[in-house]
Amino acid sequence: MNHGKQILLHALILAFAAATLLPFVFVMNNSLRSNAEQYHAFFGLPQSLERIIVTIPAALRGATEPMTVEDEEGTLRQVAPAKALGVSVLTATKGYRHAWHVIRPYMLNSLFVSITTAAGVLLLGSLTAYVLSRQRFFGAKALYLYIIGTMMFPGALTLVPSFMLVKKLGLLNTYWAMILPYIAGGQVFAIFVFKSFFDGLPEELFESARLDGAGHSQLYRYIVLPLSKPVLSVVAVMSILGTWNEFLWPFITNTEGKYHVIASGLYVLATSPYASNFSTLFAAYLISSVPLLLLFIYATKPFIQGVTSGAFKA
Amino acid sequence: MNRERIPNHRLRATLSCYAIVAVPVLLLTLFVYLPVIWAFSKSLYQFEIGGESVFVGLGNYVEFLTADPVTWPSLGHMLLLTTFAVCMRLSVPLLVAKLVHSIPVERWRYVYRIVFLTPIVVPGVAVQLIWSGLIYADNGLVNETLRSLGLDSLARGWLSDPTTALPAVALIGLPFVGGFEVLIYYAGLSGIPESVNEAARLEGCTGLRKFFLIDIPMVMSQLKLVLILTIIGGVQGFQGLFIVTRGGPGFKTTVPGLWMYYNAFSFQRMGYACAIGVCLFVLIFGLTLLNMKYFRSTEELEGGR
Repeated sequence: MNHGKQILLHALILAFAAATLLPFVFVMNNSLRSNAEQYHAFFGLPQSLERIIVTIPAALRGATEPMTVEDEEGTLRQVAPAKALGVSVLTATKGYRHAWHVIRPYMLNSLFVSITTAAGVLLLGSLTAYVLSRQRFFGAKALYLYIIGTMMFPGALTLVPSFMLVKKLGLLNTYWAMILPYIAGGQVFAIFVFKSFFDGLPEELFESARLDGAGHSQLYRYIVLPLSKPVLSVVAVMSILGTWNEFLWPFITNTEGKYHVIASGLYVLATSPYASNFSTLFAAYLISSVPLLLLFIYATKPFIQGVTSGAFKA
Repeated sequence: MNRERIPNHRLRATLSCYAIVAVPVLLLTLFVYLPVIWAFSKSLYQFEIGGESVFVGLGNYVEFLTADPVTWPSLGHMLLLTTFAVCMRLSVPLLVAKLVHSIPVERWRYVYRIVFLTPIVVPGVAVQLIWSGLIYADNGLVNETLRSLGLDSLARGWLSDPTTALPAVALIGLPFVGGFEVLIYYAGLSGIPESVNEAARLEGCTGLRKFFLIDIPMVMSQLKLVLILTIIGGVQGFQGLFIVTRGGPGFKTTVPGLWMYYNAFSFQRMGYACAIGVCLFVLIFGLTLLNMKYFRSTEELEGGR
C-alpha cells in the first residue's frame, strides 16, 4: 500500500473518531464552565482554567500583589496570588465537587449491585456449565434447554409481570429487587458461553486427573477455573457493563428513591433542581464513567480478544 | 464392598449435579418463566396492582389492535426508527472496521479499535442526557453552530418541535460508529482465510469490488447477529425515548414499548400493558424467525444451501 493511500486511511478513521468523541469534548469543556459562560459563548474555553494558568506563575514567584479572582459564588475578590490559585482551583472544580456529593451514594449502590451480580453470575454460571458439560446424568440436556430457552423471551414481555412479582415478594426498594433478577438473567449468557468453552477442553485432561483421584470440586478448582480465566473475565466485564447501564429496572423498583444506581440516579439528577447547574450535570456524567474506564483499562486485552475470537456471530 | 460403593458414589455424584443445577433452574423459574406465564395470563384481565381483576378475555388485545389511537402511530415510529438503526448499524461500523482492518500496521489497528471502543465506558443514560441537554438543547451545540453560521432562523427546539422530534431522535448517536459492532465486524474481516484474499488479489478483485463481492459475504454471520440484535432492540427498546422526549411532543415519538410502560406505571392498567408486551414478543419472535430463515450466514452460503 502506498504512502498517500495510508494517510487517507488514517485521516478517514480519525474523522470518524473525532465525530464520535466530539460530544464528550464539549461535556468536558462545559463541566468546567459556569452557566453564564455557556449561555454567552458556547464555544469558548473555561475561564476558570485560564485564571489558574494566569495565577500559577505569580504564585510560584511568591508575588504579593493582590490579584482579582472569581470565587465559587461568582463574586470577584482581591486576594494574594497564592490564595488566588486556591480560590481559582475551587471555582474550576465546583461542578465536580457538587456532582460527587450528589452521585456518590448512587455510585456506591451501582458498585455493590454490579459486583454482587457479577460474582453470582460467574459462580452459578461456571458451576452449572461445568456440570452440564462434563457430567453425564439423566435430564442434563433437558435442563440445558430449559435454561437456554429463556433467551427466547425479550425484556418487553417480562417487564411488567416481573415488577408485579417483585412487588408481591416484597422486594421493592431493596438491593435484592435488582440483584436476584440480574443474576437470574445474566447467568444464562454465562452458562451458554462457559459450556461451549468447557465442551472444547480435552477430555484426557479430566481423565488423568480423575485417575489421580481428583473429585468434582478439585476438577473444577484446579483444572476448569485456571483454564477459563480469559472467558471468565469477558463474562465478568459483560455482566458489569450490563448492570452498570441498567436504567429502567432500578428506576421502577426504587419507588422511594433510596436505592437508585448510577443510571437512574443520573436521570433523577438531570430532572432535579441541580440540573440548572450545567457544570454539575456534565461533571456527573464524567464521574459516572470513571469506574468503567478503570475496568476498561484493566480488561481491554481479554475483552478485545474475547469479542474478536469469533464467538459473536449468528 | 467395593461393588456396593460404586453405585452409591454414582448416585451421590448425580445428586450433587442436580443440586448445583437446581439453583439456576429455580432462579429462572421464579424470575423468567413465572413472569412469562403471568404476561400471557394477566393479559386477559383488567386490573390495577392490589385491585380487583376482571376477566376480559381477548379484550385488551382487541383494544390495542383496533381501538387505541396511539397503537398505529407508535408502531409507525418504531418501524421508522428501527429501519434507520438497522441501516446505520449494518453500514457505518462495517465501513470503519474495514478501514481499520486495511491499515498495514498491527499497532495502529489495535489503537484504533480501542479508540472506538472507549465510549462504552459512558453510561447509556448519560449519553442520552448529553444529547438532550447539550446537543439538542435550546443553547446547545446544534443551535449555537447554526447561530454562529448566521442561520438563526433554523435554530429551534429540535426535540420539542413536532416536525423535527422523530428525525432528531433517530439521529441520536451520530455518526453511529458503535465500538462493539466495529469489533465484531473486525473479527469477521480477520477471519477471512488468507487463501481467499490471495485468490481475490490474483483475480484482480481489489478495492470496492473486493469489499462488496468478498468481504461482505464473508462477514454475513456478524451482520446477521447485529441485524437480529438491532431489530430486537428497536422493537422493544424505549429507554432512550423515555429519557430524551418522554414520547412527546404529544405522541410524536411514542413507541409501543413506551406506551406499555405508561399504561403499566402511569395509568395502572397492568393487564393492558401485559397484552402490549405479548404483542411485542410475538412481533420479535416472528421477525427473528424470518431473519433466521431468509438471511443467510456465511456458513450457510458456503454450504450452498
